[in-house]
Order: sequence, then C-alpha cells, then structure tokens
Amino acid sequence: MKRVAILAMVVTLAAFGIASAAPAGRVTVLCSPNPAWCDAVKAEFPRATGIAFDFVRLSSGEALARLRAERQNPSFDVWFGGTGDPHIVANEEGLTEFVRPDAWNDVRTELREAVSGPRGPMYIPLYAGILGWAINERLLKEKNLPVPRTWRDLADSRYKGLVAYPNPNTSGTGYTLLATLVQVYGETAAFDLMKRIHRNVAEYSRSGAGPGQLTGRGEIAIGITFVHDAVDQVLQGFPITYNAPSDGTGYEIGGLSLVKATPNRAAALAFINWALTPAAQSLAAERGQSYQIPSNSKTAVPRTAPRFQDFKVIKYDFLKFGSQSVRDGLVKKWTEQVFPLPK
Amino acid sequence: MARALTVPIARASPNITLIVWGGLTLLGTLLLSWARIGRDLFAFVPGSIGLQLLRESPVMSGITAVAALVVLTGALQRPESQRGRIALWLGAAGCALSVFYLVSSGQPFGPAAIVAALGFLAIMGTGLALSGTLRTDAFLATSILWVGAFVLAFILFPLWAVLKASVVVKGQLSLAAVTSVLKSPAFFLLNNPASSRNEAAIAAALGLVTAAVVGIVWLAHRRGWRALRAAAVAGVGIWVLAALYLGFGALRNSVLLAIVVGVVATALGFVFALLSERSNLRTRSLLGPLSILPIITPPFVLGLALIYMFGRRGFVTNGLLGLSTGIFFGPLGVAIAQILAYAPIAYLVLQGVVQAMDAAMEEAAETLGASRWHILRTVIWPLARPGIANAFLLVAIESLADFGNPIIVGGGVPFLATEVFFAIIGRFNPSEAAVYGVVLLAMTLSIFLVQRYWIGRRFYVTVTGKPSGAQHRPLPPALDYAASGVFLAWVVLIVALYGSVFIGSITKLWGFDYALTLQHIKALSPTGWQVFWTTARLSAYAAIPSTILGFLIGYLVTRVEFPGKSALEFGSMLSFAVPGTVMGIGYILAFNQGALLLTGTSLILVLAFVFRNMPVGIRSGIAAILQIDRSLEEASTMLRANSPTTLRRIVMPLARAALLSGLVFAFVRAMTAVSQVIFLITPAHNLATTQILSYVEYGSLGRGAALASLLTLFMIAVILALYAVNRRFDTRTVGKTLMT
Repeated sequence: MKRVAILAMVVTLAAFGIASAAPAGRVTVLCSPNPAWCDAVKAEFPRATGIAFDFVRLSSGEALARLRAERQNPSFDVWFGGTGDPHIVANEEGLTEFVRPDAWNDVRTELREAVSGPRGPMYIPLYAGILGWAINERLLKEKNLPVPRTWRDLADSRYKGLVAYPNPNTSGTGYTLLATLVQVYGETAAFDLMKRIHRNVAEYSRSGAGPGQLTGRGEIAIGITFVHDAVDQVLQGFPITYNAPSDGTGYEIGGLSLVKATPNRAAALAFINWALTPAAQSLAAERGQSYQIPSNSKTAVPRTAPRFQDFKVIKYDFLKFGSQSVRDGLVKKWTEQVFPLPK
Repeated sequence: MARALTVPIARASPNITLIVWGGLTLLGTLLLSWARIGRDLFAFVPGSIGLQLLRESPVMSGITAVAALVVLTGALQRPESQRGRIALWLGAAGCALSVFYLVSSGQPFGPAAIVAALGFLAIMGTGLALSGTLRTDAFLATSILWVGAFVLAFILFPLWAVLKASVVVKGQLSLAAVTSVLKSPAFFLLNNPASSRNEAAIAAALGLVTAAVVGIVWLAHRRGWRALRAAAVAGVGIWVLAALYLGFGALRNSVLLAIVVGVVATALGFVFALLSERSNLRTRSLLGPLSILPIITPPFVLGLALIYMFGRRGFVTNGLLGLSTGIFFGPLGVAIAQILAYAPIAYLVLQGVVQAMDAAMEEAAETLGASRWHILRTVIWPLARPGIANAFLLVAIESLADFGNPIIVGGGVPFLATEVFFAIIGRFNPSEAAVYGVVLLAMTLSIFLVQRYWIGRRFYVTVTGKPSGAQHRPLPPALDYAASGVFLAWVVLIVALYGSVFIGSITKLWGFDYALTLQHIKALSPTGWQVFWTTARLSAYAAIPSTILGFLIGYLVTRVEFPGKSALEFGSMLSFAVPGTVMGIGYILAFNQGALLLTGTSLILVLAFVFRNMPVGIRSGIAAILQIDRSLEEASTMLRANSPTTLRRIVMPLARAALLSGLVFAFVRAMTAVSQVIFLITPAHNLATTQILSYVEYGSLGRGAALASLLTLFMIAVILALYAVNRRFDTRTVGKTLMT
C-alpha cells in the first residue's frame, strides 16, 4: 500500500507535469494571415533573435474572440496580421495596446494616419491590401456569362450558385466587404444589395481566403476576397484572374498589436520590432504566399503585389467602421437579415 | 492495513498508510505552490507555498494542522475502527478547507492543491475502510473517492457549466440568451418573411390532414380511444417533420441530417450485418478490414475526399461525367460523407445482434411453413429491432456532434455543431454557445428516450445459454445478391474516396494538374510534422490514464459494492453519450477562469482525451473482468494479498488482452478526435485533426490530404501492430471496443 501510495503520487505529478513551461525566451502569437506566412515567420524569427516562436492561426474575427475569452489570463503575447477593424476593437476594449516600434518613422505615412484616432495610433500597420474578387473566367465562359464589373453586377440572377464571400462573423475580410458596401452605397442600399447577392451565394466561408480557393478550384466563379490572396492562387497555377469592382472598393490595413496583459512583454516587443524590419516583411511574398503592400516604406514592394493606383479604392473610414458598436451592429444585422434568407 | 474480510485487530500498531498519506499531504501543502501565474504548473510562484501562507491565511494553518493530525492519528495506538472514523472526519475537513481556500483565493491552482486534494481524499478513503463504513480496503475505497472526484470535476462539472451559462448572462439569471438564440433565424426560422408562402400554415395544415386521415382510417378498422392517440401522434409527427423540412436554420439542418443519416446508415449496417452472418458470397470477407477504416480515421476525411471526387472539379463529376455541379456542397454532401463514415458503426452494433439470434426460431418458423421472406419480416426483423434502435441512436448522436464534415462540405449552411463553434470561436458569446449546447444535449437525450420507449415495450431473449443445434439459414439468393451489390457499391466508394485522399496528397493540383509531386508532403514541415507528433504524444499520454481509470472503474463497478455505484457508472459513461461539441464548450466554460484555470495548457487536452475515451476502457474492462472467475480473486485475498496485489498479480494479467486493446483504442480515438478538442487547442499544442481542417479551409487541399494520409497510414500501422501482438484479434472486436 505504501509503495502504491507513493507511486500514485509520482504518477499524478508526472501526468500534471505535461503542462509545459513558457520560458522567457518565447513569444506566443495569434497569427491571422496565410498559414504559409506564419510558417515562414516560425522558421525565421527564432533564427534572427534566438527567441522561440509559437503560433495559432485564427482568422481575425476568431482571434478577437480568443483575446476576449482570455481577457483575464491571456496566453498570447502578440497579434500578428489580420484586418485592422478587429485590431481597433481590441484596442478599444483594452485587450491590446499600441506600442511605438523602432521602425515607426519608416512606416508609410498614409497608413500611420489612417489608423490614428484622437488618442493616437490604434495599432501598428503591417501591410495594406485591396478588397476585390477572384474570377474563374473559364467557368464563366462555360456558362456563357460576362465578367462582373461592379458590386451590383453580382446580384444578377445568372450568377446563382457561383458567388462566395467570407462570413463576417469569423472573417475580417467578410467584415471589410460589409463595411465597404455600406460606405459605397449607404447602409440601406448596401443591405438590399447583399440580400439580392445572397441568392447567388454558394458558400459563406469561414476564412477570408476561402472564396479565392473555391474560385481557383472552380467550385465557384466569383470569390470575393483580398486581391493579394487571389495573386497567390494565380501563382500556384490556378486558372483565375483578379480584379476589383469599378464602382469603388475598400482596403485593409493589416495590424500588429501587443496583447496588453502579456507576462512576456520583452519578448513580445522584440518580435514586434523584428516584424517591421524589411527583412521580416519581405518574407511574406518570398515564402509566405502573401502579396500585400508592406507597411515599411523601406521594404521593397513585391513585384506581384496589386498596387493601389490600379484600382478605384475608396477613402475607407477605419476608425468609424473599426469601432465596436458599429462593427457588432453591422455583423448582427447581416446575421439576422441576410444570412437566413432562402436562396 | 485493514482487510475487509477480517475482523479488525483490537490492539493496533501504527497505521503506515495514514502516516504516509498524512505526511505527503503535509509536505506538499507546505513546500509546493498553491497558486501559479498563468498556465505553467511548475513555475515557482514566490509567496505561494504553504510555509509562507501560514501567517496570513488561517485556512492554510487549518489545512496544515489537519494533515499533521492525520500523521498523529496514524501513529496513535488506537483501535482501527476508531482511528478510521477520525481519519474520515479529518480527511473530509481537509478536503473542505482546501476547496474553500482555492475558491476564496480565486487564483489558478498549483501543484500543492493537487497533492492536498488527492491526499485528503486518500485519507478519507483509508478512513472509510478502517472504520468499516465501506466493506472494502483502503486502496479500493481511495480509488472510489478519486474516481468519483475525477468524474465530478471533469465530466459533471463541465456539463453543469454549460447548463449554467445558458441561463446566467453576465452574472445574472436571465433567459435573454435562450430567447435570443431560439428567436435567431440562424437557429430556426419557420415563417420566412422573404418567401411568398406561409410555411407555418402549410406545416400545420399537413399535420391536421394527417391526423384526420389517420384518425378516420383507424376508426374504420377499430373503434376506441386509441384512434385519437394514433391520430395525435401522427399529426404532431408530420407537423414537426413538415416544419423542419420547410423551415430554415441550424436546428432544422442538424435534425434532418441526423434522421436521414441515422436511417440510411442503420439500413446499410443491417444489410452488412446480414451479409456477414448469412451470405454465401465471397464479398463478405471484405467487410472486416474495410469497415474498420472509417472508424480509425477522422470522419471528415471522407468529406475531404468528397470534394476530390464529386466537387465541381471532382474526378467523377467533372473528369468522368463532364458535369459542373455544386450540389455536393451543402447538406447533401455532408449526409453522404456521414453515411459512408457511420455505416460501419451501425454494422458493428447489428452484427452482434444478428449473430446472437437463435437459429432454432427460424427453423421453427420454417417448419411451420413460413417462406424465407416471411421469416425475415416476422422473426429476424423483430429480433433485430432493439439493435437497430441502438445503432440508430449511436449514428444519430455521431451525426449531431460531427463538426468536420459540415465545416468542409457544408457550404456555409448552419448546423448546430458549427453554430456552437462560431458562437464561441467566432464571437466569444459563451451564453449563446451554451444554449446551443443545451439544445444538442436535449436532442441526444430525447433520442435516447425514444429508443428506450421503442425497445422497452417488447424485449426478446433468444440466447439462453442452452446449446442450439440449428444452423443459421443463408439469405434468400435474390436478397443475397442485392445486399452484396449494395455492399460492393459502398466498398467501391470507400476505396475510391480514401484512394483519392492518398493520391491527392501526391498530386500537384487536383482537377487541373494531376502531375505527381512531393511538394505537399514536403510542405508538412515544420508545422505539419510538429503538429502530428504533438498529437501522437498527447494521445499517448492520455491513453494510459484513460485505460487505467477505465479498468479501475470497470473493476469497482463489477466487483465492489458501495453506495453511489450506479451514479458513478452513469456519470463516467455520460461523457460518451454527450456530443463532443457540448463537452468541448463545457471544458472552455468550466476551466477558463478562477481556481480551475486550465485552458491554454496541454493538460486540458489530455484531460479531455482521458475522460472522453475512458468509457472505452470501462467497457472493455468490464467485459474482461466478467470472464474471470471470482474465486481466483477470493483465493488471492485468502492468501492475504491486498487488493492492489490481487489486481496486479491476478486480474490484470488475465485481462491483459483487453487492457492492451483498450490502450490502443484510447490512443486511436484521441488521435482522431475533433469535436471536443477543437475548442481547446493551444499554440504549442495544435492537433492533427484541427490542423487538417485548417489546411482544407485555407484551400491547401493537398497539404490537408498529405496530413490526413499520414494520419490514416499511422492509424492502420497502429492497428496492425496490435494485431501482431494480440493473436486473438478480430476486426469486429476492434470496432466494437472502439465505439461501444
């Protein structure tokens, strides 16, 4: 009995020992861009700094939810990438904070200004990307359908079952679309349009890159996505083209934020500073299958990245549409008025 | 050391057990941390060890004093029964004080809390045995208390957390979450304002018409009150079905899906069972190996394969037939994937039923001049009915809880399991997720009740233990060929689908460029491989305690008498009947804050695996123990071996095969789990299944296929290894242990 008692204690303690330690030289990151980019960072950051790197890839809406869930006991140190609106919400809610990185003065001025409110910048811009769509022209040709030009064209009933966009509940891309339509057409007209587009939608994907992937595989013909995600599809060899609607489109300023209550502040700051260096930012296009405009003006813009001057990009009001009340209101309205409609 | 069967000796020497447990508890309390910072269990937290807390916390002084008293009690020269009563009260007081300290401090528990809780429970157990309150020895009494505490903490407490979160919003009792979910169109919408028809009226009218027709027809045959009841049941049934069919939302989709998948998969399973027991054709030899495949792989692998074969660029739909259709994206695709994946579950349940039927009854019917069709209808079918209900129940629960297929091929259509996921992962609205969880739970329980009602009315026993000389009748040839045809179709589909995943993992771009490549397999490093090994490591960690705990519970339930036995059995099997999704949010809600903070650690994943798969160990343990003659254990006890020795030297060696397969299946099930653990993954401990889902969702189908193939091959290798070790191996028992 004695031996068994001692053994039992040892076994129990050993079992509980599985809970692993998080040593000081380790940074844990919520990673919202393409998983390939997260992988590339995971390979390079420890090499550059000697700090270990762990990440979970979550779409930006999910990442925000995770930060809220762990408000008392955050397990993440930094939130890397993903659309800006949830970064602003997180900052408003006191989940994250803006820290001034070493390379702050190299960050493109227009991006710095766009994310700055009355109380200063809400987050660090990491990249900028344009909302648009991926088009599978082969599928459209098979069906004898024209290539759409404007958002309104998507409501054409001939595109039934051929359109996809991300669910704004989980995807920052989905929310960017919502906010873009509201800014282009006004709220009432935008929701009317979305209700009509709804009849054509084959799938509301969970992540922002989903529609581009579906378009590439030819499951659908028009996938609303960030055009840089479509570039990735093109480079992979999928027979698609990309474009943005001619009546104006929105864009994102991908974010980088420090999680406020992190116990790992030093390692987190080291990561943030590293992430803004040109060497780190060029990983995105080189190995991360991500072709946005890098935020650091000293980083070379990837040859394949879509440029702002080629599209009609609206003056997107990040502070208004990033505020929690506006965001939650629009998402709730979409979930109740658009999503459940019969097709 | 007390022995249950001997009279306590009047003059007692010091009780070593009490001294050891008291001493361990005392040392742990004083020297280990009671709290921790964040998630690291072993980080030393300054100022949180008992020695330092003594001055500021009277409760801590109390805990220390109780532990010291236990040591003293053990050393005292008192009669065992008296010593037992003292130990019992001291143990209870120590437990109460420790829990009080943890709750009042509100800090996440540290190692000292674990030592104190287990130690005081062991002291209580020893006290129970010494005092004669429980007619068993200290080891078994302690086991009962430990197991009970585990079941309470890791099965019942999470379920309670779900129930609580559904009616408590921001600290206040409120039905707001319940009403907002029930009213939400994503949950269920009957009367759709956007459609021209009035769905509610149509459903009600259909129900009324059915009730009227059934009532009239019934009255025409037989008069009486039963006509009214039949009319009401039929009317309500049709009304509900029509409302579901016409409506919209997660409830509708999930329920219809579960019904369709349950019915079709059970029918397939019954056909397979008939084939395996009664067929004259060779095809039946394929049943064993192929039916095991969907059980040892995550169910969504078939969903992934469905995209390859039947998507818009699918090999069959587009490549062979030249179609361009998206109809397999949506409920239809989910249903097909689930039917293919779950038919083997139904088969394994029904195979036993068909096998156990006494052929003498059929022989009797035949002697009385019944045709084979008639026998099938009037003898085999009624005998198989309880098994069919059971198979339907299992499949329906699996379908309700399945998360992967709706995400992969569901086309964004809402299902209950995915809505739970979006509520917690997408919006972090615990109340909303909890309401969905309660709905899922209620549905599982109602299916269970319906099943009980259906079987409860009639029950047949045909296996009486008396040998029956009769041979099983073969199937009528027409039926044999038809059934074999259905089976072959399933075989072709399964082989093609799994094959497409393997080929997909070495194909450049499915649907466009079928050139062979290793790029997807190479792309598994660094993340894919790391995740795979993490999964294997955590599953292996979890397999050992879940087997031991399961076996121990099996032993306690079959061999020891104690109050609360049936509650323990029910509680420990509960984690199996509850959909994994519900258990998942339960763990998130229960272990996300306060003293029991566990989210974000790998420990919570291991615990989730352990308590989810423990029933496998319990079932195989019970089955093995029941085959061991009790007199062997009694002889061991007579020879003054204590119960751990008896367990180790007599019971465990005899049940070795069952233990080993229990171990392997706990491992397999942990490796392929999704629904529960998707809520619990952490940065350092992502799991293969969730990683595959994330690859597929991000459109990296090739990478997803590569990881899925790796997982599948690994599972096959594990099962083959078990086969090599365990000679008396049979694919059917494999399957049964896996799912019962």
